[in-house]
Amino acid sequence: MREDALLFLVVFAIWIALAVVYATVPMFAMPGYATVWGWGALVFLALAGLTIFARWRGGSRRGKRTADRDDKSGAVHER
Amino acid sequence: MSASALVDGLARLPDEDKRLLKIAFAAALGALFAGVVLGAMTAAARAGFFDPGPVLGYRSMTAHAVSIFFYWLYFSQAGLLLVLATAYAVPSHGIAWRPLAWAGFALMLAGFGASAHGVWTGVPLLYDAPPELGLQPSASLVSFYGGYLLLAAGLFCVATTGVVTAIRPLANGEQTEWPVVSFASTAWAGLLMVSAIAAVNVFLPAALWAMGLRPMPADHATGWHILFHNLHYLPLMATVLMWYVLIETLTGVKSIFGPRFSKIVFASYLVFVPPTSLYHMFLEPNLAQSVRVLGSLLSLFISVPTVTVFLVIVASLEVHARSAGARGLFGWIGLLPWANPAMSAIGMAVVNLAVGGALAFVLIQEKLAPLLSDTFFVPGYFHFLTVGTVTLTFLAALVYVLPPLTGRPIWRPALLRRLPYLVTAGLALFGVAGVAAGYVGVPRRVLDITYGGAAPTVWMVLMVGVGTGGLLMAAALTLHVLALAANLLPAPARRAIGVELPAVRWEGIALAPTRAWTGPLAVVVLLGLMVGFTALAFEVMRALPVGAVGSAAH
Repeated sequence: MREDALLFLVVFAIWIALAVVYATVPMFAMPGYATVWGWGALVFLALAGLTIFARWRGGSRRGKRTADRDDKSGAVHER
Repeated sequence: MSASALVDGLARLPDEDKRLLKIAFAAALGALFAGVVLGAMTAAARAGFFDPGPVLGYRSMTAHAVSIFFYWLYFSQAGLLLVLATAYAVPSHGIAWRPLAWAGFALMLAGFGASAHGVWTGVPLLYDAPPELGLQPSASLVSFYGGYLLLAAGLFCVATTGVVTAIRPLANGEQTEWPVVSFASTAWAGLLMVSAIAAVNVFLPAALWAMGLRPMPADHATGWHILFHNLHYLPLMATVLMWYVLIETLTGVKSIFGPRFSKIVFASYLVFVPPTSLYHMFLEPNLAQSVRVLGSLLSLFISVPTVTVFLVIVASLEVHARSAGARGLFGWIGLLPWANPAMSAIGMAVVNLAVGGALAFVLIQEKLAPLLSDTFFVPGYFHFLTVGTVTLTFLAALVYVLPPLTGRPIWRPALLRRLPYLVTAGLALFGVAGVAAGYVGVPRRVLDITYGGAAPTVWMVLMVGVGTGGLLMAAALTLHVLALAANLLPAPARRAIGVELPAVRWEGIALAPTRAWTGPLAVVVLLGLMVGFTALAFEVMRALPVGAVGSAAH
């Protein structure tokens, strides 16, 4: 699971680096390229963020469900 | 009960999602049908079989390319994305943010209508739609560019729902590990979103010009090159992902290299997209020489992800087949379920990808690009990719996707399994004649190439081959489309689940240590083809009695 977000972050890093090159290096000066790869980098940054968030939220939900089950089974034992 | 996660997952989808997907695939097949008919007309006109006149001829050529390259490929990709995102998540939950998915497909349908209206009522711009061809703003041009913008907006909506659908089980704690297919679908959806942005980047300024709100954009060609580069990669990424899914469905085989490596390989598509894009600029006269050299070097990496996925799939299949008793260097290939229409389509797709890929490497070389980009070499080679590889793969996917959606078995699988061979036969004639025509200088996008009798005789001979191959390919594709569309017709439903197409089951087999040589040998053959086609290009063009200077049309 960790590699999912990491892979999207690698894509983000490469795309944003290229966008900066296209925007700033005179030899490559192609603003259209910088715009598309720059926005694209943000898309993959968002996907990495979503993946991390989903993992965190899923983990807490699983933990909550386990705790609820433990509570119920504890209540049964107490009874 | 089927052993396939894909088929089982689709069968469990809510009815409303099945309805949405059926509409998406009906639209996809409709766009393909229209594009094939118009393509047959164009091929026949190019061969001199009939004379449609310039207006109808260029409208047919434009509508053919727009229908297939944009609407067939993107209706089918949008539908297949949602199929994979839902089937490998928690299928009973269905598509997340369903109204957004409906809105996305509605926008795409509106785009198809607007683009068609623009083509048939105004100046046909060809599919890259350079504003200078339109000469002056008009309502038809607004409609044409507006169609592309609606398509982009729709794709963005559908891709968003695909991402949310694939990621929702993780966030709900229903999946602890993300399946490879869910990861790859999300990566694919990301690239679809970027391509939608690239489409807006190039077509919004043109649309504003067509409305009379701004001057004609001066950098349309650059914007088109970026979009066009993405439009090369997107369908190929979708194709190899469908191979990955379908091979598991057909044989039960998963990658022997493990899920982590598969994710890295699918992510590598995204890593290689931007750096390899420079070769599209080779025809720009102001491009610095150092950038040309760098672009040439980087273009060599363009096929790395596709070849890697191919090696992973072939090695995994070969190792399983040998463990199941296959003998001889290629004996394992005979054990594959060739009686299954999806298998024959994938088999032909692989062959066509090798030929088309090798020819693509001829075109993206800096010294050859200016000589070949305005010739019939271009349609000659890229039909191996768009039709022979991507279209055959998507049609193979529909063989498995449609029955669980409609509840009906696929129509005449025994006929269907032969059609990919017929498509490839027509394509081979079209492509070989077309590439040869390009080598000897036949221009592309020119309907009448007789030049008042001054053109070399060999030009028309080769174009007759193009026309004949094109008509054969179109006939086989039309039959293929109609056979699949029959599954969508309203009729008394018979449950398809349990009606199994021929397959083998190699999952769970004890793997024996073995060598798998087929993949590496195939790569050696591919390299040989690339060298051979390049040498042939130099030899043929060196013998031509004319010089040529390219323009920025590719």
